[in-house]
Amino acid sequence: MKVTLEDPKRGNPLLLIMLIIVSLALVTVYFREGDSGPIHKLRSGMLEVTAPFERAGNAIVSPFTAVGSWFSDLSISREDLESLEAQNDELLARLAELEEARQENERLRELVAFAEERKLTTLGARIIGRPTSSWEGVITIDRGSADGVEPGMPVLAAQGLVGQVLEVSKNSAKVVLITDQRSGVAALIQSTRVPGVVEGSIEGGLTLEFVSSEEKPVQGDVILTSGLGGVYPQGLVIGDVTSVEERRGELFPRITVTSRVPIAQVEEVLVLVGAVLDTDVDEGSVE
Amino acid sequence: MRRFWITAGAILAALIAQVMLAPHLALFGAVPSFPVLVVITLAIVEGPQAGAVSGFAAGLMLDLLGTSPVGAWALVLVIVGYLAGLLQENLFAEGWLMPFTVAIVAGVLAELSYLIVLQVIGSAPEFWRSLWTVVLPRGIYNTVLALLLYPWLARFLRSDQSMKSFRRLA
Repeated sequence: MKVTLEDPKRGNPLLLIMLIIVSLALVTVYFREGDSGPIHKLRSGMLEVTAPFERAGNAIVSPFTAVGSWFSDLSISREDLESLEAQNDELLARLAELEEARQENERLRELVAFAEERKLTTLGARIIGRPTSSWEGVITIDRGSADGVEPGMPVLAAQGLVGQVLEVSKNSAKVVLITDQRSGVAALIQSTRVPGVVEGSIEGGLTLEFVSSEEKPVQGDVILTSGLGGVYPQGLVIGDVTSVEERRGELFPRITVTSRVPIAQVEEVLVLVGAVLDTDVDEGSVE
Repeated sequence: MRRFWITAGAILAALIAQVMLAPHLALFGAVPSFPVLVVITLAIVEGPQAGAVSGFAAGLMLDLLGTSPVGAWALVLVIVGYLAGLLQENLFAEGWLMPFTVAIVAGVLAELSYLIVLQVIGSAPEFWRSLWTVVLPRGIYNTVLALLLYPWLARFLRSDQSMKSFRRLA
């Protein structure tokens, strides 16, 4: 039986095999090429193209905080009612704008105070995109290479560590969250200074690994970055220990950590663009 | 040529929806995948060849949109698009049953295949945990959305515009 390309409703194993080979070739090239290779550049271009759509999506969805309710009042005329409703709508819109400005001001003050307190050279950024896939804990920010952002730079919120810049385009960047299953952060337990590694997971939780049963933390202990590895500065809050379970037959207990950063609600972050000016922050108490 | 532009437009629209809408439609951490929905619908209405080609294009777009190795989604959606088309051709069912069966099989298969590809290429999330927390919830979420969108999407994407979406015999 002859199957031609002009018959799209029939199976064509040859086409299937060809597309599979091309896909496998793409995976191979992706792994073999460097960060400046054509596929990586194409991905950076894609980020540049899609960032405005992410921003627009965010802008469209975020104001959906209140839905207007319709009601009638028989004691006043329809004309008066419509006029009052129009005034009410206008005032509500103004109030929402003012409230939004007040909240933004408060958040930015917290961020600035946080950076100043830790003497970090930071760059403020807005989150314009949330994770587009369940497989990846990645957000998009509105700062890119034009602002001096580079892959590997840590990203913080006022409550603690958010993640690390993964990919950069001219005006935006992708940040992999510490809760992503590919993330690993050199950490230590604040009270005992015992080191470990905080790892993300596919469901977005955090666990503290490589801490022995003898040195395990207790519920409520604060976990900080240790500064080892040179990616994250020392003393940033990662989260709090929420449970410690011994596992039969396992060398290390299962230590669950909860991040203090409510990533779904955070709108602004800081990118750590320069060197840490002073690293004595780990000595301070974090509560 | 018209078919090409309709298919390309549908994949592009799905990609924009993925960027603009999908993150805000997440349910219990499951983010829907609009490009997968378009590929499954195309495979159902146009057959395995169209399913494979659109799967490759949509998969490549998804790969470039994400941060995992490029080519992984392309590989998965080529195979899933082709198999969904074959399944539709060989399934004896009518009405809701045919798109429902193909959508649920293809939706879960796409996520499961992606997990297997990630395992093979070394970007490995924990298999069983991923199965329960991502593959099944997302597969089911995509299936529900596929069934809601299928009648309209199929009417738009089908070559034979006069054919009613739910009166088609398998």
